[in-house]
Amino acid sequence: MSEKATLLFVDDEERVLRSLEVLFKSRFRVLSTTDGNEALDMVKRERVHVIVSDQRMPIMTGVDLLRRVREASPNTMRLLLTGYSDLEAIVNSVNEGEIFRYLSKPWSAKEILNTVTQAAEIAMSLEEAAGAEPLGPAPGVLVIDEDPTVAEMVKAICGPARPVKWSTDLDEAFELLAGSDIAIVVCDIRLRGRDISAAVKALKESNPTILTIVQTQLQDMEMLRSLINHGQIYRFLPKPARRGLLEMSLHAASRRHLSLLSAPSLANRYQVERNEEAPVAALSNRLLGYLDRMRQGKGF
Amino acid sequence: MSESAQLHELVISARGIPPDLKVADVADMFMDDSHGKLLSLPVLDGDKPVGLISRARMQQVLFRQYGRELYGKRPVTSIMNASPVVIESSTDLTEASKTVSERLQFPVTEDFIITQDGKYLGMGAVMHLLRAMDERLTKQAGELHTAYQQLKASQLQLIQSEKMASLGQMVAGVAHEINTPLGYVKNNMEMMEMFFETSRGLLQNCDTLVDALLSPLITEEELQRKLQGVANLKESLAADNADDLARLITDTHFGIDRISEIVMNLKNFSRLDRAMAADVDINECLDSALLLARNVLKNRDEVVRQYNQLPRIACMPSQINQVFLNLLTNAAQAIEDRGRILVRTEADAEWLRVTVQDTGKGIPADILPKIFDPFFTTKAVGQAPASGSPSATRSCSSTAATSASPPSPAKARASPYNCRSRPPRHCPWRKPHERESHSPVRG
Repeated sequence: MSEKATLLFVDDEERVLRSLEVLFKSRFRVLSTTDGNEALDMVKRERVHVIVSDQRMPIMTGVDLLRRVREASPNTMRLLLTGYSDLEAIVNSVNEGEIFRYLSKPWSAKEILNTVTQAAEIAMSLEEAAGAEPLGPAPGVLVIDEDPTVAEMVKAICGPARPVKWSTDLDEAFELLAGSDIAIVVCDIRLRGRDISAAVKALKESNPTILTIVQTQLQDMEMLRSLINHGQIYRFLPKPARRGLLEMSLHAASRRHLSLLSAPSLANRYQVERNEEAPVAALSNRLLGYLDRMRQGKGF
Repeated sequence: MSESAQLHELVISARGIPPDLKVADVADMFMDDSHGKLLSLPVLDGDKPVGLISRARMQQVLFRQYGRELYGKRPVTSIMNASPVVIESSTDLTEASKTVSERLQFPVTEDFIITQDGKYLGMGAVMHLLRAMDERLTKQAGELHTAYQQLKASQLQLIQSEKMASLGQMVAGVAHEINTPLGYVKNNMEMMEMFFETSRGLLQNCDTLVDALLSPLITEEELQRKLQGVANLKESLAADNADDLARLITDTHFGIDRISEIVMNLKNFSRLDRAMAADVDINECLDSALLLARNVLKNRDEVVRQYNQLPRIACMPSQINQVFLNLLTNAAQAIEDRGRILVRTEADAEWLRVTVQDTGKGIPADILPKIFDPFFTTKAVGQAPASGSPSATRSCSSTAATSASPPSPAKARASPYNCRSRPPRHCPWRKPHERESHSPVRG
């Protein structure tokens, strides 16, 4: 980094801002405010590389702010830092805020330093990346879900123009992923009674351009936090599947995929946090083989 | 169980008297033992009741001097009661006894006629009706008692689950309240640790520099290197800026105090171990509740406190705190965007009054009578529980309080809770005796 990246911290507690300012100011240019509207003005006025916002604030919630920041400045990396466990907020932070990380209060100084530094580096690499959205071939969609209605719904939404594959077996799904042009994965977190979130996270780690739409009945804060930080899922939707919601998510994912095609460095934005809790070792050798093939750059 | 069947069961069969029968003959009929149970006999035109003649009336007429001679030959219609009580057999027992008690006179000298579709069926005795009513009431009372017991049990269950739900909400709120100061306290501590490590390194380097200076064998190059090391560390310390750190230390102390305050209030709030406490300061209770409600009220709403000096009273702090928390939560939820909540306390010789007033949307007139119903809420199922007023009533009724509701939704909502400061006996909201003479000061 030749020039210092700009960070913006938003929290209604001034002491939090002061604490973070001191932590970051030697390496970054640090802005801070307690007012969501002012934060939005700052983002519009100048290039802000990373915004870290609290969730529960007067005037504007963190998710609201991050959603508006995403619209005003898509390349600003968005992080939520909150001490309140609110499932709705975290779901919206994925779907509306498209956040990079969900951080909890109290936080560790070293971890936040690493995470924000990484976010800033990614944001710097995105500087030149944003280009016009090109028209390209419709990306393939893979559905990994036991429920046939989900596959039918996805097929109905995509129509004949976009190929949709459906699998109810993880090995088969990964074979499809390694062998064909898949850009979007629609999956549940449980498949045949097993938790497949480790595979979902590993997939994103090895191939950041794949956009994951998770649809599940499970509503667990910790699981969702991990899917954001380690899996960078693109959307989190409730089950039973609702067509309108799924359709919007698929369209957004296709658009996102096209912009990733035009500017591959944008995919940096989806770097996941190294998962130390549930190591990739939990995955079968076959899966790891597919992941390797994907990592070696097939497809896009 | 059909009501008509019951009235039907009361029918006593009795032969009717034709209207043209002579009074003397009627007297003979009364002598007949088969009518012994009856106070009166019906006068029937065919199967249509036209009147009633009672023993009492017969006695009244015949016991007179020359009564038998004067009236004996006249038809019964001349002395009968031409408008007797006639009840259809399909009439509900309650209705029947109402009619009977309204129409029959005291002392009871007559029976009533029971008809079916207007046709004579038989006679009914007041005593029998009373007994039937009594049986029925006993049975109903039993059913009512059972229903009441069931209701009480399920209400207790509901109160418990309501408490658990609001407890869960409160815990999440308090966790957030604590996590915020904890966040910067931890961050500050880690930075101070880094500062400390650098300082320690600097101190060690200074030590070796002094040693080197005192050593006669030191070379110029080595001395230069050690000097440079100290200078580097000093520079990185300067970058950390001691002023910043001093500020962070102040903040850290503040944060720790804040956490202590929250924990202390939490303890004050739910003194479950002390159900009943003397010397409770209601203003303090309100402060505790306000602190815990901060999460709901947070910055959205301006809170104005108008506390007047209050006498200390005996009450159940945990319950009264719950009432205040519910009132504040309700007030906050009534405000859609931003608004103001006024919390006022005052006391006179007899009453202690707490008012929570908000600038929210008020209570619509149609739901006003319902707000103290158990578990009444305007929230949709699944939304945060807001059945504050009912549990407020429960708690307050056990602390001898009255509550009044605001007159109209157009006006701001106010929930005054009047609590006797010198109540009648058995009231847990009693002012301690030694404070009876205390006259509360109005602000």
